[in-house]
Amino acid sequence: MRWVDFKESLSEFWSDFRRQKSGLLGLLLLFLFIFTAVAAPVITSPDIPEKWQGFWLDNPKNVPPTWVNAFSSEAKASHLAIEGEALQKLLTKTDSGYLVEVEYNNEYDVPPQDVVIKDLTGDAAGGKPSITVIVERPDGKKITLIEGYKFSGSLVLQLGTHPEVRANLIEWIKSEGIYIDPLQEFQYRTLMDATKVIFGQLNENILKNPEPLKGTYKFTILVNVPEGSSVSFDNTKVIFTGRTYGWLGTDFKGRDLLAGIIWGSRVSLVIGIAVAVASVLIGIFYGVTSAYLGGWSDELMMRFQEFMASIPSLPILILMGAYFGGHIKLWQIVVLLAIFGWVGIARVARSMALQIKEQTYVEAARVLGAGTGRIIFKHMVPQLLPYAFAQMALSVPSAVLSEASLSYLGLGDPTAVTWGQILHDAQVAGAAVNGYWWWVIPPGLSIALVGLTFVLIGTALDRVLNPRLRRL
Amino acid sequence: MGFGKYLVIRLLNALIVLAIVTLVMSSLFVKVAEKDLENTIVQQVNAEFQALQQKGQTPEDPDAWRAQRIAHYRAQYHLDKPYWWRVQYYFKNTLTFNFGKTKTPVFGSEKDVMAILKMAIPRTIQLFTTAQIIIITLGILLGVKAAQMVGSAFDRALSVIALVMSSIPMWWLGMIMLLVFSFKLGWFPSRAIPDPNLTGWAHIVDILRRMTLPVATIVIVSAGAWAWVIRNIMIGTMQEDFIMAARAKGVPERKVIYGHALRAAAPPVVTMIIMSLLASLGGAIITESVFTWPGMGRVYWIAIETNETNLIMGLTFVNVLLYLMGVIIADLAYGFLDPRVKVGASENM
Repeated sequence: MRWVDFKESLSEFWSDFRRQKSGLLGLLLLFLFIFTAVAAPVITSPDIPEKWQGFWLDNPKNVPPTWVNAFSSEAKASHLAIEGEALQKLLTKTDSGYLVEVEYNNEYDVPPQDVVIKDLTGDAAGGKPSITVIVERPDGKKITLIEGYKFSGSLVLQLGTHPEVRANLIEWIKSEGIYIDPLQEFQYRTLMDATKVIFGQLNENILKNPEPLKGTYKFTILVNVPEGSSVSFDNTKVIFTGRTYGWLGTDFKGRDLLAGIIWGSRVSLVIGIAVAVASVLIGIFYGVTSAYLGGWSDELMMRFQEFMASIPSLPILILMGAYFGGHIKLWQIVVLLAIFGWVGIARVARSMALQIKEQTYVEAARVLGAGTGRIIFKHMVPQLLPYAFAQMALSVPSAVLSEASLSYLGLGDPTAVTWGQILHDAQVAGAAVNGYWWWVIPPGLSIALVGLTFVLIGTALDRVLNPRLRRL
Repeated sequence: MGFGKYLVIRLLNALIVLAIVTLVMSSLFVKVAEKDLENTIVQQVNAEFQALQQKGQTPEDPDAWRAQRIAHYRAQYHLDKPYWWRVQYYFKNTLTFNFGKTKTPVFGSEKDVMAILKMAIPRTIQLFTTAQIIIITLGILLGVKAAQMVGSAFDRALSVIALVMSSIPMWWLGMIMLLVFSFKLGWFPSRAIPDPNLTGWAHIVDILRRMTLPVATIVIVSAGAWAWVIRNIMIGTMQEDFIMAARAKGVPERKVIYGHALRAAAPPVVTMIIMSLLASLGGAIITESVFTWPGMGRVYWIAIETNETNLIMGLTFVNVLLYLMGVIIADLAYGFLDPRVKVGASENM
């Protein structure tokens, strides 16, 4: 085919395809997906796949996305981590150590789960360094949450659950002249939700049923460094652990689900397209070869095709998963799905090729001395390409679904981030019965959307390339 | 060719497929089971050794004793035999439904794989058949309706729904159903295992309530696509001359559709029913595990999570068997309804 012809037929195809509204919508969605998949490292961060299997300790667990506040009567605190450059700006050096002043604007009805000072590393050569945290509340009260807490090595200080903080808070409440039932005092000392008290209005309900006090809180972190010791703020983070997180919330390991969804698009697209292309090509070549050879070879090849068609794929795939040690790598999934994917296409391709085979130009080619391979590849397969393209698009959804199903059953590649695996984790953690909708809905919706994208493109292609179907 | 001969050929075909698949499965399985058994043997020998130590009868030469015990168990589990011997051994065992035992009990205290399957299969069939009956009825009604008014809003809506539904994972919809109807609204119980304290009428109501969500999930995902297929077949049939003749005769429209057109469309429809049944079996099995419905899907989930190779092998074999039976029934039904397709007959036309 000459380049000019190709360009002409392409523009002809495009002018037909442009009239298919659903096809255009599919194409738009496809571009969106490809963009997300390619740009995943830029949109999120490039180390997500390595980080994905572990716990994300900084993040809150099982919290909904931040935008739920817009639909809820009580606003829940969003996640805030101050680290790196931002923290260095708040850091000042004093005579006896360091001073960090963090301002936190609490505009929420439900305050953060915890306030954590993380990865402050200290070297105790000249005696242990110590840390003091003082909070200044919008109502002007000043509370010393923890005083002279000595540490060495890497410090993780969780103010929300620290017993000393609870004790200090109870002392403070008493000093403000609020009566605490001595019988319940011990209970408060062990179980009090400290952040609700820190961010709560000072009245008699502050322990039992704290009401939120909105405004700007100033946390002063004093680090006292003895002579000869040193502390490093290089990796230090001050985290206000949220009750909501980001655009899609987090799961039971504190993982950012948005990052998972974005990275999962890569696997879905790659597997879907690879399987579809491979199985359609195999199917077309198989069918055409079978039709062209005819006779005994045809009979034999069709028997084998029937054999493959009567094997249920899912149980075999599950058995294969067990065979590969419970986890199928991505390329293995592609190969396995292609092995079961070509069967139906081969049958149709054969019946189409049987008609092409009888045409005079094939006969002419044979008379000219063309070999079997040349006739099949050069003269017969190109005739089937329109059908092949439509079938490729239409085979993607089932491949995506199969991969997701295998991952959902826990047979997927553990090193990859996939939508099926997110749903597997959700099922194991009982996300549906516990109402973690932000964990269940987005991955499945993404799977469905990828499926829909290719169905739209496929049916539009089918209508354009196989005009016989247009009336339907 | 007579129907008997046709039946024999289809049966033979299915048996050959079954034999080959089982052989492939056995040869894979032997490899998996080998690793598994070796671990078991080491554990067993260690346990024996500790038991002897506690009794104060520690063997004089622990290493030699260990080697001897391991050899004993290897012989017991046939690990000392060559690979092909073990393949044919498992092949025979599998074909005779002799799948062995699981390591940890499933469904209470059951350890025998065959007994577990005997419990699970009827439950799967119960759920699945109920769903399919609803799907088929709904599909035929909606499909015929759409075929009657091609191009109408209803027809287009059906096509769109069929398209969208075909790209949704059935098990995911199950999770959504749980989220909405069990967690949010609390209308249905979240676990499918029936309450053992109820008897009689209350028991039946309890089971029905627990079946509602899984059945609804399967129906919602499958019915649209299925109705769409019926619509396409019916559109083809409605253009035939005998339909025009029937209408011209003055046969009422209802009778034309359900009496003439649907009957003529029966062969492909029946095959489609059986084939779609088989195709959705896989999805339905995974869906079961979402609702902890104690059928084959649940057993699959348990088997994969706890790495029970014997159980996976048994499940796979039973699944292949059910599938092949379905294929045979589909073939026979088609041959019965449309005599032209009996082997060879169509090729001579």
